[in-house]
This record gives sequence, structure tokens and C-alpha cells, in this order.
Amino acid sequence: MNWIWRAWNRDRLERQLDAELRFHVDEEVKRLVATGLSPGDARRMAMAAFGGIEPIKEGARDERGLRWLEDIGHDLRYAGRTMRRDPAFTVAAVLSLAIGIGANTAIFGVVNALLIHPLSIDAPREVSYVTRTGPAAVNQRTAANTRFSYGALERYRDAVRPVPGSLGAMSSVVRMQLTTAATRGDDGAELVLGQLVTGDWFSVLGVGAQAGRVFMSEDDAAIGGQPVAVVSDAYWTRRFARDPSILGSTIHLNGYPVTIVGVAAPRFEGFIVGDPVDVWMPTGLQQQVRYAANADITDADASKPWRAQDGVAWLMIVARIPPPGNRAAGAAALDLAFRRDVERRAAAIRDPQQRAYVLQTHTALADGSRGMSPLREDFGAAVIVLMATVALVLLVACANLANLLMARGAARSREFAVRLSLGARRGRLVRQLLTESLALSILGGGVSLLFAQTGSRLLLQMASDGPAPLLLDVSLGWPLVAFAITVSIGTGVLFGLMPALRFSRADVHEAIKSGGRVVASSAGPSFARLLVVAQVALSFALLVGALLFVRTLHNLLTIDPGFEASHLVTARFDPRMAGYTPATMASLRERLLTGAGAIPGARSAAVAMCGTLANCHSVSDIDVPGRQRGVGNDADVQEDYVNAGYFPALAMVFVSGRNFLDSDTMQSPPVAIVNEAMARHFFGDVSPIGKYFTEEGSKYEVVGIVRDSRLNGLREAPPRMAFYPYSQHQQTPMRNLYVRLGGDVHLAIQQLRAVIREADRGIAVREVVTLAELEERSIARERLVSTLTSAFGGLAVAVACLGLYAMVSYSVVRRRNEIGIRLALGASPASVRWLVLRETIILVVVGIAVGAAVTIPSLRFIAALLYGLSARDPIALAAAGLLLSLVATLAGVGPAWRASRVDPALALRID
Amino acid sequence: MAGAARSDLLQGTLDLLILKTLERAPLHGYAIAQQINRTSRALIQVPQGSLYPALHRLENKGLLAAEWIETEAGRDAKVYRLTKRGRARLDAEIADWERLSQAIGLILQASLA
Repeated sequence: MNWIWRAWNRDRLERQLDAELRFHVDEEVKRLVATGLSPGDARRMAMAAFGGIEPIKEGARDERGLRWLEDIGHDLRYAGRTMRRDPAFTVAAVLSLAIGIGANTAIFGVVNALLIHPLSIDAPREVSYVTRTGPAAVNQRTAANTRFSYGALERYRDAVRPVPGSLGAMSSVVRMQLTTAATRGDDGAELVLGQLVTGDWFSVLGVGAQAGRVFMSEDDAAIGGQPVAVVSDAYWTRRFARDPSILGSTIHLNGYPVTIVGVAAPRFEGFIVGDPVDVWMPTGLQQQVRYAANADITDADASKPWRAQDGVAWLMIVARIPPPGNRAAGAAALDLAFRRDVERRAAAIRDPQQRAYVLQTHTALADGSRGMSPLREDFGAAVIVLMATVALVLLVACANLANLLMARGAARSREFAVRLSLGARRGRLVRQLLTESLALSILGGGVSLLFAQTGSRLLLQMASDGPAPLLLDVSLGWPLVAFAITVSIGTGVLFGLMPALRFSRADVHEAIKSGGRVVASSAGPSFARLLVVAQVALSFALLVGALLFVRTLHNLLTIDPGFEASHLVTARFDPRMAGYTPATMASLRERLLTGAGAIPGARSAAVAMCGTLANCHSVSDIDVPGRQRGVGNDADVQEDYVNAGYFPALAMVFVSGRNFLDSDTMQSPPVAIVNEAMARHFFGDVSPIGKYFTEEGSKYEVVGIVRDSRLNGLREAPPRMAFYPYSQHQQTPMRNLYVRLGGDVHLAIQQLRAVIREADRGIAVREVVTLAELEERSIARERLVSTLTSAFGGLAVAVACLGLYAMVSYSVVRRRNEIGIRLALGASPASVRWLVLRETIILVVVGIAVGAAVTIPSLRFIAALLYGLSARDPIALAAAGLLLSLVATLAGVGPAWRASRVDPALALRID
Repeated sequence: MAGAARSDLLQGTLDLLILKTLERAPLHGYAIAQQINRTSRALIQVPQGSLYPALHRLENKGLLAAEWIETEAGRDAKVYRLTKRGRARLDAEIADWERLSQAIGLILQASLA
């Protein structure tokens, strides 16, 4: 790195070189004077012999090997001067680049956090997680395919042992109600994200503790074992202000006291991207901390410890198999063990079709280097579409800048010609021009970094389907900065290279002879035309995408959800976390319903176990007497426990039958209300009223049918539903409280919160919101994508039209003579207008044709994100083409009009 | 100026001459030129346009080291001396040169015969 020293000492080196050469000349003069010459003659002769100081200096400078650096310095200074000379252009260019690059960096921040960034664990590439495959798995929600029983974990651990490596397991991340000595009392309980993990969890992932210790096998050796917890770095910071004295202190998780033994290494947030864990506990504490979510339970008692029961699948299994090449061997050993379980289970199935179906289930190891993430599956495709959108917008902006540089370069062609004629090499000129465009783009990139992170945060806020923004780490780390720099440089080269190559070829004689007036050879405008066609094509692609997403959103918004979201407020909580048991559940329910019903303006109050739009799916298999069970999820029914007030509160209409009645009690025969989808699927055309179905040995009589409703979200088709009355299931918990109001809902939000606080101060309320808000959240991503794609699509069209306008205006100015002659020879203004407009129309039509040719085949990639229309929706395609040609043609009308107003006398006099 | 017998410097030999000249004692640029001129009995005139670039090149390569030293006349002069690497290079260059001149000698003798 010697050259850095030399560059640093450039001025001193220059002075020394000067002194050295002067010394040489002086010595020579001295010698010549000694031979008898006069000092004046001697100096002249010495200088002549020396042959010019400057070339020697240049030679010495070249030898310093710093030519390139000095040239860059010169180029930068020159670029700075050029930028200052035209501040309007500079500001416009830097700002448009800042917006373009900033949007790209902002979305890349989310792409990186969600799709690229590996977990902060040891050797992430060695890590994978176990997932089921086969037709039975395809019909499941993805999360369900990664759940296994604790018994299965132990069997697989034995199976994989011959392969060097190890297995750890964890439960899903769930909300837990946490209280510490400090928070107990008036400010109530706090909700944290907790996770149960096996004792070897941290050692398998290679995550250590930054304070205290992580778990060891002994912590999780027994059911109900050690009451210990490890907190995350983020939670330690957020809640305890990084106080080291919390080690050894006790916190209450869902009412159960545990001791904090350590803080996990910084940056480790758990295995599930988007669900950063606050507190880890051993799986042995499942009963103690009332973990009761995200499990598949078959032939098991959910109220007994889950670890002891093979029928409860609730743990995700994570394997570390080093080196990565051994993954196949590990997967094979694992599948062998899994198959033994499957075959044992299949042997108990009598129906041969169903048995064959189950027997097709296998396991596979999925890449776990980036963790597991349901969010990635939901949101990844949308993020990629947004990334592509902003990339295209940046391309449009690049094309526009290239056009502007061409126009500006034309004005500077005399300068380039002079420099070329003075002996500047062409490469040198290209470098100069590239430095100018790179300076612009890097400035733009630098400005973009100021708001890129805010952009990422905003995106996470808009994309969230919950009360808080998505929990992804989009902090401005080096991957983002590196991305912004790369994009800046790429952008600068992209929009700067063509103009640079073009103008460095300037015809010296022509340029100088014409005295600086624009000399336009044919290459310039045709390149400009190419740029305009590219802009129109890109805009077309963006417009089609935007229209498809806008239509998707429209389809979702105009769908009939089957319930009435307005004037409805809901509170979400889980009384089990606050220590409510089946025995105390009924009295709490009565207090909540009484309180909610007493809110001024309340029309009806309701409670539900799962509720509507609450991301809760409780699915069971049922049988109808005389009906043969099909394979797969043929027997699935989604169920919920509600009170009779639920249907009027949600405004779910009865098709036939009746609502639950006071006469449906623990003593009377069990009843159920089903929806149309369930009735159709299990009973066909026959009315199910008065008929029966069985679920886990219990027999239910169908007493009513309600209309289908989209209670899993507007995008999901109405599920087959069965509702059971709380009056016959007194011990079942309720997690949603509803109140329908005659008037304003916003006052009721506070009042509903107060109702729960009065019923029990210890219940942590997750949120109190209107159902309209929940409905809005269920389409948050569709809204986000349609909003952003339309905004960027509109922007691209505007920029493209601007480019088109500039190009046509310029060509009118250039063709003023020709137009003047035409007019002088008697052409009508209308024919001149048409002449110019025709150019615009041809460019637009070619642009749209190119855009359509490229866009239509690639539209299938976004098909999964659309709703209620095909990816090649003819309406969207036609509308995009029509809209674009209309707007773009309008951009050409102004120049055409001006062309027809050219004064022939004036136009001809110029030359 | 010097007579017709003055030789043009063969490409690359200037470096060799500079290194050789500095073998015995450190010198400044002017003295190097004078010394080469004198030792070659004025057969070789160092083109001054190449001398300084060559000196700087050799310095940047680490074959020469330079120091500003006050002369008897009381002026600061940049004095170059051979580094260890420069000395090694000189030996290599001399060996190369001898091989080359031997080869050329052989060719000339053969054409005489």
C-alpha cells in the first residue's frame, strides 16, 4: 500500500521533484561557468541540454504509478464543476436517483432480512429442519408439517446418532403473559414471545450466552424439570436495560415462577424469522407455563403433559449435520425412523385407500440456514414482486437520465471536440464522462441511505397483519450499504456509458466548424428513440402489474365476507395465561358478557374460542353416520365455540334451523350449528337439520345452518365450519370478546378494555380493535402490493412521458428547417402536426408491443398473488395499453402543436 | 556536443548503468549523469529526460533509497544509494548483460569467419 503514502504526500513529492531538477540544472550551470561561459549563456545551454523540465516531471510522475489516482482527482474536480454549472439538472438527477436507489435499498432491506440473511448461529449451512412430505402433507398448513411429538424427537435422535451431528427441538413461538416483581400491580401483565426448547437447543445451534449460561441437557431432563429461562438480547435491552443483575432473578411466565439463568448471544432471535423470541424455557415446563397452542393432537389428552404423549405433535426438530454433504445420509436415517412410525400408524387404519394415502408420507430435511419462516412463504413472493417493481422503476429513471445526458452532451459536443483535437485520448474522455455520471449516482445513493431504513420500516408496518409492524431486522448493516453502493455504481454506468461512448466519438472537424451549435448525427436521436421505446415498454410492464394488483384488491374488497365488520369491536386475550382453569372459566365468561353488554349503545355481546379473522384454526375430523370417509382432509371441519350472541353480533345469517337456546345445557343432547359449506360437503342436498355427526366419540345434532363466511381472512375460501355452544362446553376457554354497537365504535374500544380490566386486572389484553381493522389487516399485503405497484407504475409512466416529451420536443427543434421548408412549400399545419405526432405514436406503439411481448410470458410468476382474475387478465392488459398510449400521445401533442406554429421565414433564416 | 562515436543507450541498460554507478558510493542525480559520462569517456551521454524518471522508478521499486543531504556548497541534494535488493538486482543485471554481450560477440565472430 505504498501508493497510498505517495498519494498522501503528493504535494511534498512535487516540491522535492522540483528541487531535485533545479539542483541538477544549477550544478550544470556551475560546471559550464567554470569552463568560462557567462552565467547567462551557461543557464541557457544547461536548459537546452536538459530538454524541458515539464516532460521530465511528467515522466517522473508517471513513474510514481499514481497517474490513475490523479486523473480520478481531476475528473472528480471537473465533474464537480460541471455539476455546479447546472444545479437544476444536478439536483433533479440526484433526487430522482436517490428516490430510485432508496426504494430499491428499502425493499432490499426486507428481502435481505426475510429471504437472504442467514441466522446468527454457528455454521448455519449445516442446519436443517425436519418436514413431512407426501400427499397428506400437501393438504396441511405448512407449519403442521414440521410438528412432531417429543417421543418422535427422541427416536429420531437415536436414529441420526450414527451420523455425526445432533438434533434439537423447539415448540412454536407463542405469546406468553409475563410478570416480574416490578410489573406486578397496576400496569398489569406484559405479553412476550416465549418458546419452549430442548436442553440441547442452544448447543445444536451453536449459540452461547453473553451473560450467565444457556440451557444444558440437565435443564430439560425431566417433565416439570428445572424452572429456568434464558432471555434474548433484544428483550434484555428492551425490558431490563441490559441490567446484569437480572441473572438469578425470578419472573412469572403465565403465572409460573422461573429463574433467569442467562442472556443469549446478541443477534440471536430464535429459529423462526419474523417471530423473534423474548424468553426461552425448557420443554419440560409445558404444563407449568400453560403452553397450549400450535399442536396436532390425536388420541391424546391435551390437559396432560405433552412430552409424555406420542399423540401430541408440537415440536419442530432442528438438525445439525456437519459437513453439509452428510445431509443426505442424515435425511435417509431420519426417514427410516419416521417410516417406522408411519407404518405403525397405518396398520391401525382399516380403510385401504386411507392407509395407502398415509403410507405415502415421508420426511425430508429442509434448509435451515435462514431459519424457518411462515412469513417467508406468505410474504416472500410479494416482496420479490415489489423488488422487481422498484428495479424496473430505477431502469426507467436510468433511461431518462441517459436521455438527459445525451441532450446535455449534445450541448457540450464542442468541448469534447476541442479536447479530442488537443490530443485527449478517447478512453480518457469516456472516463471523464463516466466519472460525471458516477458522481451523480453515488451522490444519489448516498442521499438514499438517509431514508432507506425508514422506507424498510414503513414497509414492515404496512405489510403487517397484526397490531405491530413485522418483526424483521432491517437495520442499516453492511449488506444494505453494499447493496446501495453496488446499485449506485451499476446505475451510474448504465445511464452514463452510452452517452459517454457516443460523445467521445464526436467529429472534431464538424463540431469545431459549426461553432458549438448542436451537431446531431443520426446515431444520437436513434439512441434516444431506443431509450424512449425502452421506457414505454418498462412502463407498460409496471402498469400491467399495477392494474392486476389493483383489480385483485378490488375483488377482495367487494367480496361478501358473510359477516358484517362495521360497528363491531373485539378484544383478544387468553385467560388461561392469567391462570384461569376450566373450573373458573364459566364465571369469567359471564362477567365479561355482562360487562360488554352494559357498554352504552351495545346491541349484542359475544364470546368465541377462535373467533373471526383471528388467525386461529382449530380443525377436527368428523364422521356422519352412513358416510364413507374419503382420503386426505375429506373429514376436516374447522370448529369454534361460541355463545348464542355470536351470530347476531357478527351478523351471520341463518339459512335454516335455529340459534343456540337456553335449553341447550350440559344436561341436554349436544348440538351444533354448521355453515353451508359444511352442510353441502357432508350432507349433500339433504338438509342436515336434525341429523347427527360424531367427533372423537361425541355425537352432535345439527340444529341450524348459517351462511358461509370468510373467517380465516378475505382471501381464503369459507371453511367448513361447526359451531358448538359454550352453554354445553362450560369449561372451554374463550379468547375473543365481541360487542356490536348502534353508534360510534371508537369510544367502545376503551370501554371494552375497561370491561376486561374490571373482570380481572391480571389478564393481559393482546389488543382491542374493530373487526373492520382485522378485515383490513387480512388484506394488508394485497393493499401494500397494489398501493406500491400503482404508485411506482404511475411514477414510471410519468417519467417515461417526460422522456418522450423531451425527445419529441428536441427532434422538433432539430427539424425546424425541414418543417419550415414544408410549411413554406404549402404543407398544411395539420399535416405537420400529424408528421410529428406520428413519430410519437410509432414510438409508443413499438414500446407497448415490446413491453407486451416481454411482460405477458413473465406474468405467470405473479399468478399466486392475484385473486379472482387470471395473470393474463385481458382487461388489465387492454387498460394498460390504452392508458399508456393515451397519456404518451398526449405528451407528444404539445411538441406537435409547436411544430405547426413554426414560422417558415424565421426557421429558414437561421442557417 | 560529443562526437559521432557517441552510442545510443540500449533499451533497459540505463537502469544497469545507474545501479552500477551507485555501487561504490551514494550520489545525487547530476553526479550520476556526470560519472556515467566520465567513466564511458563521454561515449555515453545519459539522456536527462530519461534519467530522473528512471531514478524515480528504481526508487519506487525499492532498488534505490533516497535521502536529502546537504552538499559542501550548502545546498540540499537528493542523494540515491543502492538498497540490498538493488545490489541483488545489479548482480543479476550484470550476469544478464555478460551473457548477452557474449552471445552477440559469438554471432559477430561467426559472421566474420
